[in-house]
Amino acid sequence: MSVEVEVDESDLAEMVEQVWESYLDPEGVSPLIPTYDENQPSEVHSSVSITGSWSGHVVYASSRVAAQRAAAAFLAMELEEVSEEDMSDTLGELANIVGGNVKAMLPPGAQLSLPQVVLAPEASARFPNTERISGVYGMWEGEPVSISMWQSSTDNKEEGA
Amino acid sequence: MTPMRAMVIDDSRAMRMILKRIVTKLNFEAVEAGDGKEAMDLLADMTEVPELALIDWNMPNMNGLEFVTKVRADPRLREMTLVMVTTESEQSQIVRALAAGAHEYVIKPFTEGAMIEKLALLGLVPTGANS
Repeated sequence: MSVEVEVDESDLAEMVEQVWESYLDPEGVSPLIPTYDENQPSEVHSSVSITGSWSGHVVYASSRVAAQRAAAAFLAMELEEVSEEDMSDTLGELANIVGGNVKAMLPPGAQLSLPQVVLAPEASARFPNTERISGVYGMWEGEPVSISMWQSSTDNKEEGA
Repeated sequence: MTPMRAMVIDDSRAMRMILKRIVTKLNFEAVEAGDGKEAMDLLADMTEVPELALIDWNMPNMNGLEFVTKVRADPRLREMTLVMVTTESEQSQIVRALAAGAHEYVIKPFTEGAMIEKLALLGLVPTGANS
């Protein structure tokens, strides 16, 4: 059973800002510039599922270049050195961090899954019986990045991933 | 002088790298483990126990809370300082971790400065280390 959740764009934007400040842009020179375009393209994505007091998914999606940049920042390596494994690992951790912070804003009793990473566009993701309820969409050094929340229908017993 | 040792336990290699960079900067020798079970296996083979463990909560095989509980139940590991580093930020979760024996709790995302401050509060930042 899922309850109405009040995590809005400004909450997500604050989480994103913290992630950028902590890991992706500690110098404060390359923030995520909002585009407000929920249809912006992506090439890779990661997600965590939340179940319990609220059911749904938190999805991090970006271009491959943005994912490579994120991995390079996390792993302190050059862009050319980043492997697919590095990219997957970083994408998973980004979904985990944002998802964990979303969970903290939910009523008690929510559980967070381990992250899932798919090196394919977010559009290929299938989250049955869900609707997008919130999202932050922007460009990071000219590359698309988005973080969105998908809520499962209240009567949905099957969790898609 | 023998450097202090820190065990970094997280299933994300990216997060292990970030934590390793911080503790190395503080002159710790870092040891990595991908989950609680791997960390326990490594500890079983060590003659000297690390002074510090930075522990994620959500990990496969053995999660961070289970790891903390096991460490606290082992007299040989009693002196280890345990810091949970996790996205689990609900008050009830923090209480559970501290009740199980964690000394400190750091919520992801964290800045390098925030982590160093926490370790300083625990008296684990070696003299002369510069944050």
